[in-house]
Amino acid sequence: MIGNDIVDLLQADKDSNWKRKGYLDKIFTEEEQFLISSDMHPALMVWLLWSMKEAAYKINSRVTKLRTFAPIKLRCNNLIIRKCGATGNILYEDEMYFTSSAFNEDYVHTIAAITEKDLLLTDIKITEHTSNEYRSSNPASVSHHGRFLALAYI
Amino acid sequence: MNNSELLEKLKPIVANYAHNKEAIDDITEHTDFINDLKINSANLVDVVLDIEEEFGIEIDNLSMEKMLTVSAAIEIIEGKLKEKNDR
Repeated sequence: MIGNDIVDLLQADKDSNWKRKGYLDKIFTEEEQFLISSDMHPALMVWLLWSMKEAAYKINSRVTKLRTFAPIKLRCNNLIIRKCGATGNILYEDEMYFTSSAFNEDYVHTIAAITEKDLLLTDIKITEHTSNEYRSSNPASVSHHGRFLALAYI
Repeated sequence: MNNSELLEKLKPIVANYAHNKEAIDDITEHTDFINDLKINSANLVDVVLDIEEEFGIEIDNLSMEKMLTVSAAIEIIEGKLKEKNDR
């Protein structure tokens, strides 16, 4: 099973003031906040970590059929950042999810999976086209934010 | 404060982040922040912070976990206001 999440960086900048007092404390652990404050691009780090949590949460809520808003409990771990992407894990309760992210100046996108193999088998399609036509293609996970539609197939 | 007074105070807060502005007029205790009002999950944090400021309460992480609907929000605010007054 996979989950995916896209953040339109322009939209996020418009909608969210992550510098607001108390904001980061509600979402990120101390370690994650350290990653943000020590990064050269703190805004990108905010949305990278956020998309990892969201992608993993999508799998978890589908499996457990439980909805909850507990971003701080989804902990980012083993984060390795490359030039235009990152890999890592999300730990949540007794579960661990593998994540793979890609970013550029327009968006951050993360896929999460229960196994590393699923991560490798996933096909991703990111478009600015937001009609409902994609439904017939039967994606395993859909994420829409701002200008972008991200579809993940397995 | 009764439930309808709480709802009236809650409305402008959630309206600020709702992408489905029309649903604001039909808001009831059953309204879901994400599914009905189309509030982005990153903005749910703002809803929580605004509620804390508006009502002078602190919403702990365990309470925040349930904060997905109007009825849950009202229940949490009522509980926290009571805790505050009992102190």
